[in-house]
Order: sequence, then structure tokens, then C-alpha cells
Amino acid sequence: MNTVEIKNLIKTFNGERAVDNLSLGIEKGKITGLIGADGAGKTTLMRLIIGLLVPDSGEVSALGLNPYKQKPELTSKVGYMPQKFGLYEDLTVLENMKLYADLKNVPYEFDKLLKFTSLEPFQDRLAGALSGGMKQKLGLSCALLGDPEFLVLDEPSVGVDPISRRDLMQMVRNLITPETTVLWSTAYLDEAHSFDTAVVLDKGKVIYEGKPHDLAPTAQEFENKVIDLMGGYKKEKSLIAESYTPISSDFDCTVEADHLEKKYGSFYAVRDNSFCIKRGEIFGLLGPNGAGKSTSFKMMCGLARPTSGTARIMGIDIKKNPEKARSNLGYMAQKFSLYGNLTVRQNLEFFAGVYGIGLLNRKKRIDEIVEIFNFEHIQNQKSEDLPLGFKQRLSMACALIHNPPVLFLDEPTSGVDVITRRDFWNHITGLAKKGVTILVTTHFMDEAEYCDRISLFYKGETIALGTPAELKQRSNSNTMEEAFITLIKESGK
Amino acid sequence: MIKESLRRVFALAKKEFITTWKDPKSRGIIVALPLLQLIVFANAITMEVKNIDVAAIDRNNSVESRELLSRFEHSPRFRNIFIVDSEKEFKSKIDNQKVQIGLYINNDFSSALRGQKTSDVLIISDGRQTNSASIASGYASQIISDYTSEFNKSSGASINPVVRNWYNPNLEYRWFLLTILIPMLALVITLLLTALSIAREREMGTFDQLIVSPLSSFEILLGKTIPSLFIAMVLTCIMTACVIIFFKVPFMGSMLLFLISILISLLSIVGVGLFISSVCNTQQQAIIGVMIFQLPAVLLSGYISPIEDMPESWQALTYLNPARFFMALSRGIFLKGMGLEEVIVNLIPMIIIAAITLTLASRTFKRKLG
Repeated sequence: MNTVEIKNLIKTFNGERAVDNLSLGIEKGKITGLIGADGAGKTTLMRLIIGLLVPDSGEVSALGLNPYKQKPELTSKVGYMPQKFGLYEDLTVLENMKLYADLKNVPYEFDKLLKFTSLEPFQDRLAGALSGGMKQKLGLSCALLGDPEFLVLDEPSVGVDPISRRDLMQMVRNLITPETTVLWSTAYLDEAHSFDTAVVLDKGKVIYEGKPHDLAPTAQEFENKVIDLMGGYKKEKSLIAESYTPISSDFDCTVEADHLEKKYGSFYAVRDNSFCIKRGEIFGLLGPNGAGKSTSFKMMCGLARPTSGTARIMGIDIKKNPEKARSNLGYMAQKFSLYGNLTVRQNLEFFAGVYGIGLLNRKKRIDEIVEIFNFEHIQNQKSEDLPLGFKQRLSMACALIHNPPVLFLDEPTSGVDVITRRDFWNHITGLAKKGVTILVTTHFMDEAEYCDRISLFYKGETIALGTPAELKQRSNSNTMEEAFITLIKESGK
Repeated sequence: MIKESLRRVFALAKKEFITTWKDPKSRGIIVALPLLQLIVFANAITMEVKNIDVAAIDRNNSVESRELLSRFEHSPRFRNIFIVDSEKEFKSKIDNQKVQIGLYINNDFSSALRGQKTSDVLIISDGRQTNSASIASGYASQIISDYTSEFNKSSGASINPVVRNWYNPNLEYRWFLLTILIPMLALVITLLLTALSIAREREMGTFDQLIVSPLSSFEILLGKTIPSLFIAMVLTCIMTACVIIFFKVPFMGSMLLFLISILISLLSIVGVGLFISSVCNTQQQAIIGVMIFQLPAVLLSGYISPIEDMPESWQALTYLNPARFFMALSRGIFLKGMGLEEVIVNLIPMIIIAAITLTLASRTFKRKLG
């Protein structure tokens, strides 16, 4: 029996088909993974299934109900967790759960959920003060309230560290009944590989539907197969790196953290953090959510003031001479943070100006960037209307516009699909070869493999520092993910 | 060094212009809202006044004078006519706002009419309610002149309605209102424009991007101040032109002094707006901040009640209020032709306000880094 039946479903936005004549059945009592590139129609499909959008044509039924005509009946049986779960940051953990219990009209039975999420000691903490991983766990708990028959999760693991990611998976597997159907969209293909069924979407159409193990026996091969299905990724020489003016410098350390420390009251967010990154090195800051790596990262680029210690970029002290130090820096934020209502070209012009590129060189430089990044056809489009993949490219273009010797990337691939990520790392490794020093944070452990050295962060301190191979050896692990989990657990003991 | 710094500031300013202009909402706020309000407010004061109560002293007590008063009674605009005997009662009726206007008919009224001489009918209006008073006395004059011309078309006799506005001898409410609307609307728009600008970037995450760039806090401040100031300045000039051209308010003072005054006034408001913006994390907070500042700023500006009438401690408080000086300057230069010395006296507090708020704003950016 199927929980969801979809026939010839069509949904159009501004003349473009987000869901294109799609037919699909989702089996009852199974976990179905929804995979696809950005803009493939995953979120749209989920929202159509639970009645948050009205289709142009075609049929949908969920739990035998028509989602838009019998929405009240359906909603009481569905647990939905959107990408940004609507937690009230000014309410405590418990107050949030009570609120959602009231909304769903279910009794206050939180013991099991709280125990499972290990949120029990934090019941009275404000939701806004939780780490990213804990927020997602709380969000999932709220979606699980009232034992829904059908659980719809839209990329719950975005921006979550590997340990919390495992916890989320375990929560779902342990807290549902055998009859519960789960629809789970994800950008992590190892996650999708562990599900009962995988559905791959591309341009609003289903291009694969079946058991993940039938497609490939291991998660790694599964990823390659999915990439092939989505049109494949051909590794080419990175034009971006090719056109980069090589960087040479006499510094031993182009980026240096010198006993960085950040204290909030009596709590150390970061304690005595020192490292030295050499020219052309890719240095990864890894750690669970809330371990202090974002704080370290922010102090490195001057977004937060260290309580003591300092950082130097190309030998310039960020505390003493912040403007000059930052002029050597290209910065890419986790969230798309360019000006949405400026066009692609206007954004480039703005950053060129801010980084002091003279008017005469500016046009030349921007034309060059537009060509290298393939922006010709979109350069006069508003950047907020671009698909995520392009937004990410634009962020990178703006960070690189002044040919900086140092690049800081803060979870640059969060929420980005697998092909875009591969393309992105192709450019990053290319840039490193040209002598650009790169500091990066990420939650994708496969990406950690691209790093030359990794600093593993836990509870404000560096617990391991070395090449990916060294870390794996130290923890007797085969993958970075295992190494991550083992090392964190060891240090916790 | 300086060249590069200017380049950065220019890039930021240009971006501000484009984003402000491209956003249909802020474009609406900047252009449509103030002009619409100017028209609405200016015309609201000419609205009809009905149900006017009149106190009348008829010293003539003749057929003619009673005929005149009965015309008032039959006019749809007038409601009650109270015939009073003593001047004391007459005064108290106006004092206590029982009536909006008073009529005083001299004892030579009928003889003047018949004898083709000139006589006066005194119309006293309550200047405290400038708006309705001027309209009511206008109606009254109309009735009186209609009556006299009808009565004696052929003869040269005439009764002059003489209007006296008690409490506010030179009744120029519309002028008064319009010259105050300019700073009021400029205040509201400039505050909103600037208060939202940094808060919006914080909310979108673009502010981090600015901080990570080589822009110093001073440059960010400058890049934010220039566009807001420019937009507010253009807007104020358009409103001023409207007031002079369409509402025909005579401009008595020096245009140069006026422009300098509004520039500095707006700068102090930009300072307040940016300061509000720098302490807020979200646009919602910024809007609340604007409200908290704006209401007392308008109420304590001397627009609602004269500053001289406030308790002394409160008078001192108004020195912190740029709206007070802005309004005094606008009204003073526009209608009175305020001189250089007085203008400077009003400008100094605003320069100080601007210096303090802008410094605080730039300090707050830095402190907010945490």
C-alpha cells in the first residue's frame, strides 16, 4: 500500500515548471529519500504533497486524502519539518515543545523525546541559544509530537555536524512505528543510501526510483551513480584558478592564529587556539556544532573580537590594523549574503569598489570575472532570483574579485547539491595550487578529505591537528566521518 | 590612501542608491508617501466647518440687524445663535469655547445702512482653533456682505465685516501648517530610511560581508550617511517647491540659509536614524526604535504646544530634539525671513546632535562585533 499517490502532477512558477508531469508512489512504512540538485523541485513536491501548494494539474493523494481539499484532516496526521523549522528563539526548549503540542492538540508527553534528543538538561534554555545541531533535534522533536502517520522532513541535516546527523537519523528510526511513512530530502548521499527507497529528481521529473542498494552497493559509488544520473560531472581544469594571478609571499605563515581566546563570562568559547597556515594550504576547521569553530573563524576575520590573543593575515595583525588585514582577505559566508536586489553585475561592481579596485581596471576585471564564471547570460538578473548554485558561484566571484592571497570559507557548501559541491572544490583546490591560502569550515566529511590539514575542534579546544590521513590513522578509521566521531568521543572521555 | 578610501565610500554610496531605488517599498516610502501626505494634510485644513455656534451682541437692535442675525440662523453652517447683552458674557462664551465666533453689531448699523454711510460689523473668532476659526469667520463675512449688497444695491452704503482673531492675530494656519509639514515629513522619511538601512543588512547577513571587507567603520558610516542625506535633501527641496508653487506660501527668507539649514537639520536626523539602526538587530526593532524617538520628537517640537508653555525642565529636554530646531528654522526662514544670527543659534544644537549621534553610531558598529 502506498501512503502517497501522485499522478501527472504539474506545478508552474513564473512560467517555469518546478514539477513537471510527475508520477510517483511512496510506500507505507518505509523511509524514502528525496535527492536532487538545487531547484530540482524537491521542496515544491513536498509542499504539494502536504497541501501547502495547490497543483496546476494532476492528482495527489496522501494517506488517502486530497491534500488541498481535506487539508485539516491531513495535517493532523502529518509531521512536517520545513528547511527552516519555525522554532521560537525567544521561547525555551520546553516552551517550544508545549506550543507545538498545543497546536497539534496532543498531551505534554515529552520525556521520551527529551531523553532521546539529550535535550533534557537544556529544557529551560532559550531555543535561540542552542547550537545548530540541537536546534534541528528540537525541530524534529516538535515534528514528531503526536506520533504522525506520515513524516515529511525537508533537508533536516543541513548545517549539522556528523554526530548530530547520526543522532537525527537514530531519532527518526527509533521513534516511529513500523507503519509510519517518512519522506526525507537530503543533500547527503550517504544518508540517502541508508534509506529504503531513493527518489532522484531532476528538473521536476523523477529520474530514478528504487532501492539505493540496487543502484550501488556502497555510499561512495552511490554518489557517483547519482551524479551520472543528474547529467554527470566532468572534472575540467578550473578556469577560475587558471586566470588567477599567482601568489607568492615570504611569510612562513600567511594565516596565523596566535593564542586566540574568547570568553563569555566564565565560559571559554575558544581556549588558547594557535595554528599556522602556509601559503597554498587548505586548512579545515572541523568540529561539532557549538564547539567554537565558528567563533574562531569569526575572530580570524575580524567579525568577533578576541578576549585575548590575535590573528595575523599576511603578517598583518587583525586587531591592530583590521582594514589592512582584511584587504588581503576573500570571504564567503555560510548563507548567501550578497545584495539580493542588485544584479549580478552590480554586486560585482560593488565588491570591486569596496576592495579598492580603481575605476579604470574595474570594468576590465568585471568583464574578466563574468567570462570566467559564465555569468554572461545572467549578469543583468537580480541575484536573489538566481538558483542556489549560481548564487554560490556569485558569492565566490565576489570573494575573489580582488585576487586575494587568502580565502576564508565558512561552510560554503551548506545546502548545495553534490555536483555544485564537486565543481566548487575543483576550483578551490585549483586556487590553492596557485598559492592561495584557504581556511574552510565544513560539515561534509568527504570535503574534509580535500584539506591539506585539519584542526578538529571540540569544546573550545583543538583536540587533533594533522592531515586527513594522519587523523584517520590515529583513530583507526577508514573514513573521515568515522575518524571525526571516534576522536570526538575519545576526547569526551 | 585617501583615494582608495573615497573609492570604497563611493562604491558603498552607489550601492545604497541602487538598493533604495530598486526596492519598490522603499521607493514608495521615499517618493509617494511624503507628497501624498503633504497634499492630504494641507487640504485637510480647508475642509468644511459646520455647526458653528455664534454669540452675538446686537447694539443696534433694529429690523435690519435682526434680519442679519436671522440669516445666520438660516444658514446651514451655523447652528445656535446666542444673543447676549453684556460684553462680559460675550467674552466668557468665547473664552470657554461655547461658541466659535462672536458678532458685534454697532448701534449705528441700521442708520448707516439707510444713510448710505459705512459701518463695521466686528467678527471675533477663536484663534486658538485657527483652522475652524478662519473658515467660520470667512462664512460670517460672506453672509454680511451678501446681506448689505442685497439691501442696498443702488446706494453706496456698505457694511464692512471686520475680522479680529483673538489669541492669534495673524491667522495663517495653512502657511503655518505647510512650513511645519516640510520638516515633519522630512523627519519621518529620513529616520525610516536610515534606521532600516543597517538593520536590514544585519538581517540579511550582508553586514558581515561589509565588516570583513577593508571598509572601516567610519567609511561604512560615511557611505551610509551620504545617500540618505542626499535623498532626504532632494525630497525636502521638492516639498519646499510644492509649498511655494502650488500652495502659494510666500518665501520670505534667504534660500541659501534655508538650504544650509535643512542640510544640517537632516544630517542630525540621519545621525539619530543611523544610531537607532546600529543598536538594532532586526528591521522590526529598528521600526520600533523610530517610533519611540519620533513621537516625542514631534510632540515636543513646539508643533502641538508651544515650547514656552512647557514646564521648564521639559523645555530643557527639547534641546535634545532636532525636530524642534528644524521646525523653528523652517517656519522662521520661510515666513519671517529669519536672520543669520538666529539661524546660527538654531543650527549649533543640531550640529552637536549630529556629531554625537554619528560618533555613537560608528562606535556601536565596533562594539556590536562582540
